[in-house]
Amino acid sequence: MEAIIKLNSQNSIKKYTRSLARFQSLIALFILCFVLSILSDKFLTIDNAWNVMRQISVNICIATGMTLVVLTAGIDLSVGSVLALSGAITAGLLRNGLEFPSANLYVGFTILGAVLAGLLIGALLGVFNGWTITRFKVPPFVATLAVLTIARGLTMLWTKGFPISGLGESFSFIGTGWFLGIPVPVWISGIIVLMAVLLTRKTRFGRYIYAIGGNENASRLSGINIDKIKIAVYTIAGGLAAIGGIIVTSRLDSAQPNAGITYELDAIAAVVIGGTSLSGGKGSIMGTVLGAIIIGVLNNGLVLLNVSPFWQQVVKGFVILLAVIIDKANSKNQ
Amino acid sequence: MIKHFPQPFLLLLLSLLIVTSSCKNKAASDQPRKIAVVVSTLNNPWFVFLAQKASAKAKELGYEAKIFDSQNNTALETEHFENAIASGYSAILFNPTDAEGSVANVMRAKAAKVPVFCMDREVNTTDGATSQILSDSYSGCVAIGRYFVEKLNKQGKYVELLGLVSDNNTWNRSKGFHSLVDNYPGLKMVAQQSADFDRNKAMEVLESILQANPDIDAVFCGNDAMAMGAYQALVAAGKAGHVKVFGFDGAEDAVDAIKNGKVEATAMQFPQVMAETAAQYADEYFKGKREFPKKMPVAVELVTQNNVGDYIAYGKKDEGK
Repeated sequence: MEAIIKLNSQNSIKKYTRSLARFQSLIALFILCFVLSILSDKFLTIDNAWNVMRQISVNICIATGMTLVVLTAGIDLSVGSVLALSGAITAGLLRNGLEFPSANLYVGFTILGAVLAGLLIGALLGVFNGWTITRFKVPPFVATLAVLTIARGLTMLWTKGFPISGLGESFSFIGTGWFLGIPVPVWISGIIVLMAVLLTRKTRFGRYIYAIGGNENASRLSGINIDKIKIAVYTIAGGLAAIGGIIVTSRLDSAQPNAGITYELDAIAAVVIGGTSLSGGKGSIMGTVLGAIIIGVLNNGLVLLNVSPFWQQVVKGFVILLAVIIDKANSKNQ
Repeated sequence: MIKHFPQPFLLLLLSLLIVTSSCKNKAASDQPRKIAVVVSTLNNPWFVFLAQKASAKAKELGYEAKIFDSQNNTALETEHFENAIASGYSAILFNPTDAEGSVANVMRAKAAKVPVFCMDREVNTTDGATSQILSDSYSGCVAIGRYFVEKLNKQGKYVELLGLVSDNNTWNRSKGFHSLVDNYPGLKMVAQQSADFDRNKAMEVLESILQANPDIDAVFCGNDAMAMGAYQALVAAGKAGHVKVFGFDGAEDAVDAIKNGKVEATAMQFPQVMAETAAQYADEYFKGKREFPKKMPVAVELVTQNNVGDYIAYGKKDEGK
């Protein structure tokens, strides 16, 4: 009886520290917002809040996929290039359609068709990532690094190195429109986050993701089809990067061949600041969302205060470092 | 025996065989001369255009041409130079990554008796390159600055968006602009931020700046991609038309935007002129000419709503095809 009580109290302490760990990024965010609202009277306005939310929506899309990948103890470095390629495919199809001179055939695309084609490309690259990682046992870092280069090259080939601009009013609604008083990109990223939270918390698939990251061998022995889960996770990450690409393209009314460079780092930073362990098995989608908000608020605040661009990079680096150090100290306590 | 041979090694051997055999073919004397186009980056349409025009002109003059992308990395540029020299290229049309860092590469080529012709950006040495055909960014931005002052009636608040802070051109342009604009105390710069020559970054940065300074009158951007991003941010904030946007480069989007009254002005550089002159010089060099201007500045022209009709992307209407 005593033993059970002891066990129970130990459990509750664990639970307590764990919920504290989740709160710590929330506390960090509050401190950050508090300081910024003292330093600048323009920071804490509704306008600026929407501004920040709209700006981080792309990172939230990518970082959500990245969280799933990192939970399986993987990493996806290709997201920035996948974003650029998907955006460019969508823009190209929308603007020029597809021409087959040999067959004397021209295929035009509606907005829906072009967007779906972009998403398909992103998902396919994700499948390719998953396939090389599971079939040939290529480490995720290397496999996705290769796809980072491949997808950037394909983007250059598709765009010939020039931006594709002038995509029309109705397409720009995706990136710049408002719906029920909320910017459309915020809707999109919000729905993605909601679905990812349900996926990780309520489904068997979600539990398998955590299990694989926690202990891959044990998961394999208990009969989980690890390869299938991993391929699915990388496919989701690719598809979400593609959604990010379509938002960016729509916001700019232009697909830039060099879009998304170093976006993978922003996404990883959001994941890490949000408390997800890079060694897999531990972490949450909501943590990542908080991480992305912290980065977004920091970016916005430093510009509002007109901090020199040199210092901005230094500050951002230290914030990431601080977050990881706190996280390390916390996981030791557990 | 073969069975025990490590597979990667076999592959390496095989590829070496293929490479060496193809090299032998190229070394034959009746092959056309080869020209290397080494360009700082292909991640920016302006440089893609420059590289393509240089390569196309070289081919038109009867040479083989190949484009090397240094990816803004001086170390990679060194490799390209070493490879080009080793594999028998006869000339290098060169767009350096860095005015100081690229000097060693140019000297390397000189030592191997391979002439180098610089395009758009310069290297800080007088006896390295055979000729340098340079875009005059500084005075281009002085011209932009003059028009800027005139358009704002010497009065108002403005924002400057810088390019990559590690790039020479960023500061050349900024200095040129400020050398003129700073003489007018009525013009107040309320924010100076970097947007990395990137359209998306420019939009996001200006969106944030507009939160702190909703009453600005103008934005000066270090290139046209940023000018377009800035315009997009102004549209989103409902301030398009009230805030004047100025760019630099003469890219297609910006020329169109000036026509439609969205952007006030840009500075037209002439990448095609620079690229084709460099290829032309290489041709003349092969034919025995040795006297070239050490530095040949190519003027940068101010494009405004008054004269935009004379221009197309990256050049003048009547120039070339």
